Amino acid sequence: MLSKPTTQQVLLDCRRELLEVIDPAVSDPTVKIAIQMLENVLRNCAERSAHEIAWMRDESNLMVGYARDVKSSVGSTPEIDAALAAYDAGDNTSLDLDAVSDSYSRAGECLSVAIERVFAVGNTELHLRGRDILALRLANEDAIKGEWAFVGRG
Amino acid sequence: MIDPSVMPAKLAAFLSKHGGQSANVTAYEPMTGGYSRLMARASVTWADGRSEQLVLRGDPPPGKAMMETDRATEWALLSALGRAESIPMPKARYFDATGEELGTKCIVLDFVDGRSLQSHINECEPGNYGRHTFDLVDTMARVHSIDPNDVGDAIARPNDWSSYLSGLIDRFRQADRAHAESNPFLRYVAEWLDANKPAPLPLRIVHSDFQPANIMVGADGSHQVIDWELTHIGDPREDLGYYAVYSASSGPSLIMNDPLAFLARYREKTGFGEDTVNLATLGFFSSLAAISVYAQILAGAAAMSKGLNSGIMTTYTLNALTVGHANFMGGCIAPTI
Repeated sequence: MLSKPTTQQVLLDCRRELLEVIDPAVSDPTVKIAIQMLENVLRNCAERSAHEIAWMRDESNLMVGYARDVKSSVGSTPEIDAALAAYDAGDNTSLDLDAVSDSYSRAGECLSVAIERVFAVGNTELHLRGRDILALRLANEDAIKGEWAFVGRG
Repeated sequence: MIDPSVMPAKLAAFLSKHGGQSANVTAYEPMTGGYSRLMARASVTWADGRSEQLVLRGDPPPGKAMMETDRATEWALLSALGRAESIPMPKARYFDATGEELGTKCIVLDFVDGRSLQSHINECEPGNYGRHTFDLVDTMARVHSIDPNDVGDAIARPNDWSSYLSGLIDRFRQADRAHAESNPFLRYVAEWLDANKPAPLPLRIVHSDFQPANIMVGADGSHQVIDWELTHIGDPREDLGYYAVYSASSGPSLIMNDPLAFLARYREKTGFGEDTVNLATLGFFSSLAAISVYAQILAGAAAMSKGLNSGIMTTYTLNALTVGHANFMGGCIAPTI
């Protein structure tokens, strides 16, 4: 395959074409708003394409590691055992996007049930560690989002 | 509903059938600004010589809506609020319940001559919003002062505050279960909210999308509230929290300048006490309140991932989910060691 230009570069060039060539030729206000939205979505996709596999893998490792630590330090629940078993039974090695996404979802469930256990036992240290993992997830989402507001509302 | 080449004739036939006299549609144009529904404005001349402008509010084509709400419920609610004269709002005039006449299920309302409050505050110097801040508070308080009996059985009425709030919190878990992938934000926030419930308030009408784009300002400065499609009976602080988080991402925010003054005015106008309306409860409901809109957008995302939905509105509003995650977490104060 051709890896250069990267997907990110291709998408950003589509965005430039949209803004510099297509948008000036359009006068319909509803289409103008759709173009602003498309610009934003293309920017989101460019950022995602550059990082999403690495980000999901990194987060998955943290989420599953956290669930294992919760299990060993404050005791397991049937939900934690089931989530970890489902994670371990799946494909967590392939780098195809669908496989990484599926693995990420299973890891997310591990984090969710571990957090529920931490609330039930009231462990502040593990609570804060769980929040740190969510903060990383949010930082990655924010990087994809970039500047954003409801265009056309008002 | 947005095709100006066919809609004038369709609308004229519809109005002539339901309006009691012949109607002629002299102008018809789609409106921008609405996210969830199609909107259009029509100029109408009736046989008796009267002329007026009407607004059409209809469902997008199947698979193209960023959220699914029921026009029949909205029509019943608008009609009930109008009959009771509960609050200034555009009168709901006609309803195509099947979509057979106007091309989609569609409510026809009076047009409001004026601009939205959003457009007014966009023109203000940052931090200097004049009367608009307290006008917004007063309008919110007025919504929350509506007697829930005004709406009859148009919308569901919860049994009691405690079970209502628990059910609302559980919607985070339901949204997670219904989605196409696990979402730990939702499960964390549900646990946090369950552990930090505030003192109760009486159940009232909650607009659920209370923000300045949904308030029309007349020439005399009076307000009319529009877009009631997510309205329900619940805890009135949901609207306070929703407005706080909405305006934080789509400002300018009229609450963040001086939240204590904002809340004091709200208490004064509603009669609620400081034990129930304060910065802590604002934080709680900032996390909780957006779940109604959030869950709708998330459902659209899930439908798209399964190939059941498409359209720029769905992909564009995915970013609102990230805004939601930030707001959810921002309202859930971390414990201290």
